Amino acid sequence: MDGLKYIGAALAVLTGFGSGIGEGMICAHAIDGMARNPQMYSKLRTSMIVGCALDETTGIYGLVIAILCLVL
Amino acid sequence: MDWSQALRFDGSIITGELIISFAVMILIIALAFVIYFRFRNLSPDKPQKGFNLIVFEAIRGLENFTVDNMGKKWKSFAGYVLGVALYIILCFIIGITGLPNPLVNLTFPLSLGLCTFVLIHFTAARANRLRYFKRYIDPIPVLLPINLLSMWAPLLSLSLRLFGNALAGYCLMSIVYYFTELLSSMIFSFIPSGANQIFLSWIIAPPLHMYFDLFSGAIQTMVFCILTMIWIAQEDPEDEIDELEAQANLLA
Repeated sequence: MDGLKYIGAALAVLTGFGSGIGEGMICAHAIDGMARNPQMYSKLRTSMIVGCALDETTGIYGLVIAILCLVL
Repeated sequence: MDWSQALRFDGSIITGELIISFAVMILIIALAFVIYFRFRNLSPDKPQKGFNLIVFEAIRGLENFTVDNMGKKWKSFAGYVLGVALYIILCFIIGITGLPNPLVNLTFPLSLGLCTFVLIHFTAARANRLRYFKRYIDPIPVLLPINLLSMWAPLLSLSLRLFGNALAGYCLMSIVYYFTELLSSMIFSFIPSGANQIFLSWIIAPPLHMYFDLFSGAIQTMVFCILTMIWIAQEDPEDEIDELEAQANLLA
């Protein structure tokens, strides 16, 4: 039964799937905006980085839960 | 060498992270005293240079940042933001040296998140008086258990974000160090063992340290400060309520 916790950890880490798609969409739309409106470049870049960091959070929850699965 | 193990005294609660955390706090307090005694007799109108100029510009920038995010009423709140930001960024920077980053231990991010969490509810209670309790039975009283659960979301979100980022960096760096030591001892196997593990890690590790400690740390510091400011200002808004809500919706 010990192997099940590794399977659980692997399933938890799959959150990276959604997080990756979301981050890609953030970058794509930010670059769209930058190409259309180059004056907004610096503002959009800041928002993009903050948005990416917030988007990463879901992936990081998955990581934390995976590590908890392995350790506990 | 793994300093986090070297600093961990077995059987006691004093871990390396605790020592580093206190070192960071002492450093910040010392910096605050140095700046206080240096600036006590200066007039702000005179042009400054050197160290004074850097401190002036940094504090002015932070105050503007706070006012942009929270409104004019909250200008003095920049002090809390400065303290938290310095603590987080110094913790991440210490990770470069190989000393344990305190944020790898859940206690420290949870404490930071708890500070912000208490401030959010304190601000809400002070601004709304007894109407503060209305939020728990918001649309209908049946939702009370759900509201009581969702109350903890900001705390979990803030603390786990920092913890997870620090832990991810720490885990990946440990793997990289292990891997480079193994590879180096395989390639340079003609050198006697014990001296042949050190040839690769100093080439591969620094860029990764730069990403996981400096870049990630700076971004997480900024996100923590922005979320703190927006969530607190949301509870006791000024006239710019629409602007703040728009920002909160953008970031949430």
